[in-house]
Amino acid sequence: MLNDVTPKNRQLTNFVKPYEIFSTPYYKLDFSEITKTFCESRNCKADSTSSLRVCKVIIVGDVSVGKTSIVNRFCRKMFDTSYKATIGVDFEMERFSILGIPYNLQIWDTAGQERFRSIAQSYYRNSHVFIAVVIIVFDLSKPDTLLNTRKWFFDAMNTCGDMLPYVFVVGTKKDLLGGFAYKTAELNAVNVAKSLNAEYWPVSSKNGENIDLLFARIAALTFDDCIKNEKARSRPITISNDIVSFKGRKGVYNSKCVNC
Amino acid sequence: MPAKEKSLEEMQEDILAQLQQLKIEEELLQDEMNNILTQAPFLNEKIKNLKKLLPSLKIIENEAVDLVHTINDISESSEQISGKIRALDSARSRVDECQGRVCDLIDLEICSQGVQTAILDADYEKGAAHVHRFLSMDQFLLQKTATDVENVSNTLKSVRTLEDAASQLRSIVEHKFTEAVRNEDLVSIERFFKIFPLLGMHDVGIKEFCMYLRGKVAFAAEKNLKTAITTPLSDKRQSVIFADTLTLLFEGLAKVVDVHQPLVETYYGPGRLFTAVNILQKECDIQVRRIFNEWMKSRQITTKMQQINETNKMSANSSFGKLERIDPKDLDILIGEITLMHYRSELYVRFIHRKVLADIDVGIPDVKNRDDAMNSFSNSMKCSELAQLKHELLSHYLRLEQYFMEESINKAVAMDFVDSAQQTSSMVDDTFFIVKKCIRRSISTGNLDGICAIINTACGVLENDFCDVLRSKLKQGYPSGYLDLTQAYNVLQSSIQQGRLQSGDTEQSRTAFIVALNNADSCTEYVDALCESVLKEIEQALPGMNANEHGKLESCLSGLSSVTSNLKDIIDYGIQQLRSSVIKPRVNPWVDAFLNISHQFTEEELSVYEAGETFVQTLIMNLESLLSSFRDVLTESNFDAFVSALTTEVTQRLEKVILKSSFNGLGGLILDKEVRSLASYITAATSWSVRDKFARLTQIATVLNLEQVSEITDYWGSHDGALTWRLTPSELKSFMLLRTDFKSEDVKRLKL
Ligand SMILES: Nc1nc2c(ncn2[C@@H]2O[C@H](COP(=O)(O)OP(=O)(O)OP(=O)(O)O)[C@@H](O)[C@H]2O)c(=O)[nH]1
Ligand SMILES: [Mg+2]
Repeated sequence: MLNDVTPKNRQLTNFVKPYEIFSTPYYKLDFSEITKTFCESRNCKADSTSSLRVCKVIIVGDVSVGKTSIVNRFCRKMFDTSYKATIGVDFEMERFSILGIPYNLQIWDTAGQERFRSIAQSYYRNSHVFIAVVIIVFDLSKPDTLLNTRKWFFDAMNTCGDMLPYVFVVGTKKDLLGGFAYKTAELNAVNVAKSLNAEYWPVSSKNGENIDLLFARIAALTFDDCIKNEKARSRPITISNDIVSFKGRKGVYNSKCVNC
Repeated sequence: MPAKEKSLEEMQEDILAQLQQLKIEEELLQDEMNNILTQAPFLNEKIKNLKKLLPSLKIIENEAVDLVHTINDISESSEQISGKIRALDSARSRVDECQGRVCDLIDLEICSQGVQTAILDADYEKGAAHVHRFLSMDQFLLQKTATDVENVSNTLKSVRTLEDAASQLRSIVEHKFTEAVRNEDLVSIERFFKIFPLLGMHDVGIKEFCMYLRGKVAFAAEKNLKTAITTPLSDKRQSVIFADTLTLLFEGLAKVVDVHQPLVETYYGPGRLFTAVNILQKECDIQVRRIFNEWMKSRQITTKMQQINETNKMSANSSFGKLERIDPKDLDILIGEITLMHYRSELYVRFIHRKVLADIDVGIPDVKNRDDAMNSFSNSMKCSELAQLKHELLSHYLRLEQYFMEESINKAVAMDFVDSAQQTSSMVDDTFFIVKKCIRRSISTGNLDGICAIINTACGVLENDFCDVLRSKLKQGYPSGYLDLTQAYNVLQSSIQQGRLQSGDTEQSRTAFIVALNNADSCTEYVDALCESVLKEIEQALPGMNANEHGKLESCLSGLSSVTSNLKDIIDYGIQQLRSSVIKPRVNPWVDAFLNISHQFTEEELSVYEAGETFVQTLIMNLESLLSSFRDVLTESNFDAFVSALTTEVTQRLEKVILKSSFNGLGGLILDKEVRSLASYITAATSWSVRDKFARLTQIATVLNLEQVSEITDYWGSHDGALTWRLTPSELKSFMLLRTDFKSEDVKRLKL
């Protein structure tokens, strides 16, 4: 089962750039040297931990902004115009192959309705050993859903403890907006994303625009950390509260920041 | 001329040879001719026979021609016949149709006459049966027939009579049914319920009947709720009274469905249950909401939720505001009630689904219609108030359970207690007892999302709060103190044995450190066992999980089990602490004693050395005293880790002091012996393999124990007897140079 071929569009050989360089706080431009050397060495292909390389992606946002539609477009190449509210939380596993190494995105599509909040929140608390990504979704055609992204953001940050997840602010239903309307919406969205220190992406699940790219970007960014963490763990450990938190990562992109 | 003669002779020979050849051929031909001649009589015979056959052939030909004619004739006539049969067939079906119409007309006549009398006699079954017969006739054909026959007006009149009678009956039956409901006249209710479908009023019948049932359900439910509210606080069932009420409601509804389904199926046909259930569900929704509201009020859910939210906010801001916290114990019973309420709702939903889907399956043959019906039913259930309430219940449950888990674990940590007989302290057992209890309780809700959420919470609490406690205890370090260390261990041991700690902070901190280390180790076992047992229990409780649901569950569980990697880091850290504060300061002087001994023995000196207490004996004795003080206080695997750290320290140090010494042959021999006995002592002390840690040291001893320099080639190289060396060539040489009896040129000249 592990050997079945990963489809072409799930094979990454290059790093994936952000949507716009000015709309991201993650300045990494390429896989780190550690990762590249590791992936080139032959022993990594045979190692047994490969099946365990997992990134948790938690998708949150207001009711009916299009969270499930993003997942359906990405995982099933489907789009449904009728709305079916998500009950509880849905789960998908998507396999990637990055620099020849298997990598999995574990996608949790949460429900926007208030009564499912405790279920959704509990996923911030599941193990921090896995690198995590929070995608906060809003509807480009509904400005108040953009405002609510702040609420979702703080909700995540208050629950996730030591862990510092990657945060993406994703605007959906781009197909509904004309050029000018979109430009205004984007301006606001980029500002909000900046204030939350998050990366912005506009997408459309209807025509598929940017969907695959967004997830490829997530996979590339987290894969790099995953390998680096692994390498770091095999060195002698020092004890502190952030033993497996990702504070280290912040240092990485800040220092890169100087270079660009 | 001899040449010519020769040629003549040759010619003669040739000719003779040819003659011979011709003779042979002649003989052959003769034979053949003889053969042919002998066959001639047979052939003549055959020809004669054939001649006889000729006239019969003629006859056969004539007969064949005749046969063809006959067959043609037959086929023509059979075609004619089949045409006739076709005509006959259609004629017969017309006759049938006619007969049908005649029958219809006759029945029409009978029905129209009978129906009136039946109505007058109040024999509604009979009347309805007439109408049913009338309705089963093709109304369009009836009109056509009417225009074909002579007494048009008669037929039309009958039709009109019956139509009138039908509508008359319909209103009578409806009226009578309502009346029967008003009078609680069960017999009449059932009587008229059966008449509805005869009059083509399936939907009305089901609707009216279910409205009646709905009323009964409502009545019972209201009575039950009233009883529930007035149940005295002292009552045994008071703590689950709302779950009981909910159960009564669901049982009542299930019974209604079970009892009436056969009735509906017999008189209305299958495939109609979902119409009935939809109507009943409305009442169910209303009643469930009422019970829920009363429950919220009576159990003060809103207030409790507010209090919990406040507490969470406070602890998030880590302020010490002493606001009134709910004791988790006080929530225990309430949480139990919610899970019960949720589980009952879940069971009821499953029951209804099963019933209705089975009914649709048999009742609706068309695949597309069937799927539509199933989807529309599932959707209506999904949108029902009951579904909504189930979600709300689950949401309340999760908040309470999460609070319960966190607070109980906090309490268990705060009330941590070291029992002298145990290597671990009470908080480990207590914590895992709580976690298991909570996860079990979540399983009893019957909802996978709820179970996963509690597993996630458990993971978070263990990974953060709980590991932080262990970590911070280890961070305090293991004080080496100014006491003599052996003495200190004895104190530690005896204080642990006596279950009291009095000789000051040092012992207390040591015990605390050791216990925290042991706690971390036993937690890893607990986590593994927990994941395993929980998975089994969930699979039992939710047998119908699909692949996706399985994936969901396994992902959550793998999060929980990865808590062990945090624990392992903590243990590693603790062992490192012990290494620097306990092992290093003691082991170094012990090993350094090696330097006080000359390793250049004469035979005499050797026997003296061996008669006394040798270096390794002293070392082993010291190590033993150190190990024995930890053997009983550490868990088995922690002790092994401790021995492993000790081994590393001893071997590394020993290597260093060897490099500072010089040896003769006997010295090397002794070293080799001593290394072996050290290795075998440590191997016996632990269940882990320490062979690897001794590899370098053993090789050093081998090198130093060589008879002569050249002997190294027995061990070095790629031949069979060679060792896998842990020493680099230059290291090897520098160890060889420690042998004073080896010539350094010889050593340096070695090609390795
Ligand atoms: N035109 C357009 N419609 C979209 C797009 N994405 C989603 N929708 C529509 O928006 C509605 C809601 O989509 P969902 O994906 O179910 O919303 P959700 O965020 O999962 O909602 P909850 O599960 O209730 O939190 C559906 O009717 C979709 O068809 C898009 O990119 N373009
Ligand atoms: Mg959804």
